Amino acid sequence: MLEYEEFCLRARLEGATVDAWVAAGWLIPERTETRRGFSEADLARAQLIKDLSRDLGVNDEGIAVILDLLDQIHGLRRGLRTLSAALAQLPANARADLRRELRDRSE
Amino acid sequence: MSANPYQVLGVKPDASQENIRAAYRKLAKKLHPDLNPGNKDAEERFKEISGAYDLLGDPEKRARFDRGEIDASGAERPQQTYYRDFAQRPGAASGDARRYESTEGFADFAESDDILAELFGRSHGGKAGIRMRGPDIPFHLHVDFLDAVNGATRRLALPDGSTLDVTIPPGIRNGQILRLKGKGRPGLGGGPSGDALIEIEIVPHPSFTRQGDDIRLDLPISLSEAVLGGRVDVPTPTGPVTMTIPKGSNSGTVLRIRGKGVGRRDGMRGDEYVTLTIVLPRTLDPALESFISGWEAGRRFNPREGGSS
Repeated sequence: MLEYEEFCLRARLEGATVDAWVAAGWLIPERTETRRGFSEADLARAQLIKDLSRDLGVNDEGIAVILDLLDQIHGLRRGLRTLSAALAQLPANARADLRRELRDRSE
Repeated sequence: MSANPYQVLGVKPDASQENIRAAYRKLAKKLHPDLNPGNKDAEERFKEISGAYDLLGDPEKRARFDRGEIDASGAERPQQTYYRDFAQRPGAASGDARRYESTEGFADFAESDDILAELFGRSHGGKAGIRMRGPDIPFHLHVDFLDAVNGATRRLALPDGSTLDVTIPPGIRNGQILRLKGKGRPGLGGGPSGDALIEIEIVPHPSFTRQGDDIRLDLPISLSEAVLGGRVDVPTPTGPVTMTIPKGSNSGTVLRIRGKGVGRRDGMRGDEYVTLTIVLPRTLDPALESFISGWEAGRRFNPREGGSS
């Protein structure tokens, strides 16, 4: 866990910027009773937001949309990964049935 | 040996700083690894173009490169950890990134497929959690004309036997859909309930019609009221009011009654427009007939000719 000051320092962001991003829900620090803690994942996410706004010229509205869609994609990808792992455990004939079904549908 | 940064960005060696930035942005939008969570090559290519941009995007560095003082190999960015690297981690290892994940994008699949519901119902935490919002329930509600104009409360029977009180705001329009938050079907895994979506169908009124915020009404008046004027009771959506008919009113004359139209959200109301129609008595009165036959001025007046009176 990173303290607030350390997070700002490593993310190379002003405190006010971090506050605004937290307020917008773009960053969700873990809250304890007395302070907010940031993770390495939060740091990478902050870097992404920085890339979007500074390098790619995306405005705030655009960033909100991108983050929302990205969060959906990651949710989907996790679901797909879990599904894929579960399918790998099925008996060979069930997998063959499934493959046939998928092939029929993709035609 | 690194590639020529101009070629990497696809710009000419004499390109302006503006052009270089535009070229970089265009490529970066396509290749940023976090915008391509499943594309492994994106990271390598993004590293290349961002390295090239680090060099060419800075006029000073670019000049040194052009003079041959530095080469492209120094331009590589240090290894960067992308957000996707955290979001991709399986299970508990991903911990921190999980809270951002959303399952909104496939909530509808899980509603109709118990295997997918199982799949998405198993994980915990997360922004929308793996909780699934309940489906919306559509309803169709007939509303009396006056209830739509004035606002009302109506009781709906739900499929599960319970009832739902619906507040119809004044001025609701035909076909409008009222959304009652959380009155739909319950969510999965502690997710919020769906909404009740109530489509409003307004039943027409025998005498009132509606035009935006205004009410229109055809009002029959007698010949004496038309000629001599007088005070008559006029129905409005909130009950009858007394209106003065000016002397010499005609069929087709439109009178306005302020503030007796359709209720609005801001508490104001539109107006009611009353169109007068002169109606003769059902049986012709001999006295009237004999007066009219001796009435010279009436004979000379031809309403189908403009101008004369």
